[in-house]
Amino acid sequence: MRWFQQLFSRRRRYHELHESIQEHLEEKIEDLMEDGMSREIAEQTARRQFGNVTLIEERSREVWQWPRWESFLADLKFAVRQLFRNPGFTVTVIFTLALSIGANTAIFSIVNALMLKSLPYPHPERMGTIYTRVTGMSAWDERHKLMYEQWQLLRDDVPALLSAVSSPHTSGVNLEAGSHVQYLQAGRISARYLDVLGVQPAMGRNFSDLEDRAHGPNAAILSYSLWRNTFASNPNILGQAVLLKGAPYTVIGVLSEETITPLNADIYTALQLGPEGEGNGTNVEAITRLRDGATWQEADSEINRAWLHRAHRYELNDDPNAQVSYHSVPLQKGVTAKLRPQALALMLATGFILLIASANLAGLTLVRVLRRSPEFATRLALGASRWQIQKQLWVENLLLALLGGTVGVAVGFVALRGLLQLLPEHYLPVAKVPLDGRVLAFTLAISLLTSMLFGMFPALAMRKFRLRSAIASHSATGGDPLRVRQALIVSEVALTVVLLAASGLLIRTLIHLQTLPAGFDATGVITAKASLDDVRYHDAAAFRKLLSESTAAMRQIPGVQATAVGQSLPYERALLNGVTISDGKDAGLQGMTDDVYITPDYFRTLQIPLLAGRSFTDADGPETQHVAIVNQSFARKYFHGTNPVGHYVNKDTRIVGVVQDVPIAPGIDATAPLTGEETMYIPAAQTDPPLLAMLHVFFQPNWIVRTSGPVEGLTAQMQRALSSADPDLPFSGFYNMRDLMAKALATQRVEVALLSTMAALALLLSTVGIFALVANIVAQKTREIGIRIALGSTIRQAMVHIGAPGVWASTLGLILGLVLCAGALRAMHSVLYGVSVYDVPTILIVVLTLAVVTLVATVAPALRIAGIDPAKTLRED
Amino acid sequence: MTKKPEYRDLFPGALEMMILQTLSKKPMHGYALAQQIKRVSDDLLQIEEGSLYPALQRMLKTGWLESEMGLSPKGRPVRIFKVTEAGTNHLQEEISSFEQMFAGIRRVLAIAEL
Repeated sequence: MRWFQQLFSRRRRYHELHESIQEHLEEKIEDLMEDGMSREIAEQTARRQFGNVTLIEERSREVWQWPRWESFLADLKFAVRQLFRNPGFTVTVIFTLALSIGANTAIFSIVNALMLKSLPYPHPERMGTIYTRVTGMSAWDERHKLMYEQWQLLRDDVPALLSAVSSPHTSGVNLEAGSHVQYLQAGRISARYLDVLGVQPAMGRNFSDLEDRAHGPNAAILSYSLWRNTFASNPNILGQAVLLKGAPYTVIGVLSEETITPLNADIYTALQLGPEGEGNGTNVEAITRLRDGATWQEADSEINRAWLHRAHRYELNDDPNAQVSYHSVPLQKGVTAKLRPQALALMLATGFILLIASANLAGLTLVRVLRRSPEFATRLALGASRWQIQKQLWVENLLLALLGGTVGVAVGFVALRGLLQLLPEHYLPVAKVPLDGRVLAFTLAISLLTSMLFGMFPALAMRKFRLRSAIASHSATGGDPLRVRQALIVSEVALTVVLLAASGLLIRTLIHLQTLPAGFDATGVITAKASLDDVRYHDAAAFRKLLSESTAAMRQIPGVQATAVGQSLPYERALLNGVTISDGKDAGLQGMTDDVYITPDYFRTLQIPLLAGRSFTDADGPETQHVAIVNQSFARKYFHGTNPVGHYVNKDTRIVGVVQDVPIAPGIDATAPLTGEETMYIPAAQTDPPLLAMLHVFFQPNWIVRTSGPVEGLTAQMQRALSSADPDLPFSGFYNMRDLMAKALATQRVEVALLSTMAALALLLSTVGIFALVANIVAQKTREIGIRIALGSTIRQAMVHIGAPGVWASTLGLILGLVLCAGALRAMHSVLYGVSVYDVPTILIVVLTLAVVTLVATVAPALRIAGIDPAKTLRED
Repeated sequence: MTKKPEYRDLFPGALEMMILQTLSKKPMHGYALAQQIKRVSDDLLQIEEGSLYPALQRMLKTGWLESEMGLSPKGRPVRIFKVTEAGTNHLQEEISSFEQMFAGIRRVLAIAEL
């Protein structure tokens, strides 16, 4: 409390001090006058013997102060005044800082949410997933999906872990609630899934082992929002049956409002995985939790012991001699692995932005410091130390950085909202991307770092400050600021070139993917999905009846030219399945293909050209010869380009036609986001009945309608047509083919949008930098230009002379940037499709863009030269 | 850092010691204190009169001195400084350590003379 009292008693103390000193002087003067001095002389003598009254009073007062703090406060006040005096400078600096710090804040928030924040479960450090590491001919180390045998061994023979599995994605299902049926997203989870997450239902319980067994009783757990919205928060819901997938499911639990699962589904059902069907392939994902007292090493050795002696080891399919091992990986790393490189690349790009902004600000503050030379000269002459002036400059920089950082947080917040809007739903595997304390601390840290970066140059310039010449010449001295500023421009242009080239390559990739030969005609096509994961459609006859009746009804809609149903569409993934060539010289050859069931008018509706043979007809039914139509890629791979029509695959299926490739999401070999993979179309009517149920868990088939022009109320009429065949079947929503393409290329679109924004920001900052450099030269050299013009130089020559430093700096930066690109862009190899890392058009466009920008940024300020009147400038000074 | 003029010709703490010694004989106000120190030291120690004031403030803050209103010998209302108990203790310590140091220097000088 003492300091507090001091604070208030201080004014009184100062007053007393002042009085004491005045009394002292007066008494002294009186004494001296008594000795016979005149008043004037006595006053002088008294003051001389006393010393500097003001200084002594100040020193005496300082005893009661916290000198550092108070001098800092004084510096701060002065800094605020300085910034207000120069609003143009202040606004430019804060704007630059806000943009660059805002970009960093937004991207760091995502990095923070993806990599630094813990998963929202108890003891997240004890949660994991399992990676398969294969070394040999083809090496990989990733989270692989599991088959039933693996799941069974993991569950029963790895006591160090509490394990659970789930379907990798949610899938569309129908829920009948009251009078209407809803299309919902269902997640399928094994017993103990919620235990592994450490989550307890708000009401009821988790799935039991009995419910999770293949063909076990139907049970469901509701998400909080479904319970509240659809079941009106019914407190007696437990034990009641709801009609899900056409069958009664007993509600055994309701999740709490805060519960988030990695699947983020509306409703959960038991996975019921068995050795047959779905469990026969790698179709589920594992999550694990380390049991108390166990270690990850124990868990890993148990997993390896359990899994290395399985009957079916698919890891060895490609290379029987490969070395296979398994290891646990933190769950957070497992779920964010795919997005990490992108997030880090973006962080790097925003780091570049920060450097560019710092370079600009260094240039600006350097000029400002040199302009303030007279002020510093005066202060030095009046007895200020260099340190005091340095301190003043740092306080100003710090103030600017903090102001910029504060505005930057606001910009970052807005940018982050915009960015999250841009991302497709469920794109990020986290529920929230908060601007939390860690993000704010990061922003504060980079604000301080920026102020260090841009404050360094003026501070160095101050060290070389020569008082005498500064006073003599009224102008800047010390070092060669032009050289320093040019070097700054060179480095920022170089970084800009890298960002421009990188975003150019991504744009070219996106254009390449968007303009892939479609192989079909998307105009006038509307599609809608419905869920047939429904007991009523496990029966093949009911399935066939639904397809034929609903398509027939849709054909009746006026304006509709053609209509069809397909298990999947172009731009979507298809069912990955094995295929065996049954005749010819390659008989017995096995491989992979994408299977798609379709109704007869599929190719006509999408206008996919038939290249050989025939299309399907209504005559291709369950009892007739099994037929297939393959695409070009299939013919090329399995028939070496010869006509496959008439050949047999899978023992008894006869190929009757060949169609053109369409781009689809790859299943066989993920070399690009869209490819024309080996695809085999089969008539929906000939789909293997036992396969139907499983197929419709994975795929929600599409009703496709082609119209000649806009049809009023088309979607409502489509829904009515479907209802005429089955009143309890809702569509999930309606899409055109562009929507599907956009969804397939979501990652690429996001990459392009973000990196292009960064590149544009970098270009803007560099432009401002070059502009400021040249504008400043014009302002500084007005007199010199006046002399030049007076001596016969043309305005053009003067402009070239003045603009040259800017053009030189930009050109050097461009060259340096291209050299950097040669090394840096190779890292982008894996995200580029249809364009090479050293892409000549991209480089040309980058060079051209910079040339134009440099020209504008140098010519615009240099135009002021035309307005210089030599006579006037020579008369000045 | 800024130079402190009051220490120009003295060792650190000397001024405080002189002030404490002087005031412990008799409380007095600033002017009288300055005159007294000057007179006693016979003008041998050149100090600016003003330099007393920061020292007095420091000592007030440390608690070695306290001040109260009083009258000067000439009847002016002035602020009289007097030594507190803490100030007396400090003075004792200073004097004894000063004497020790002085004795040490003496001895060294005596040896040097041999």
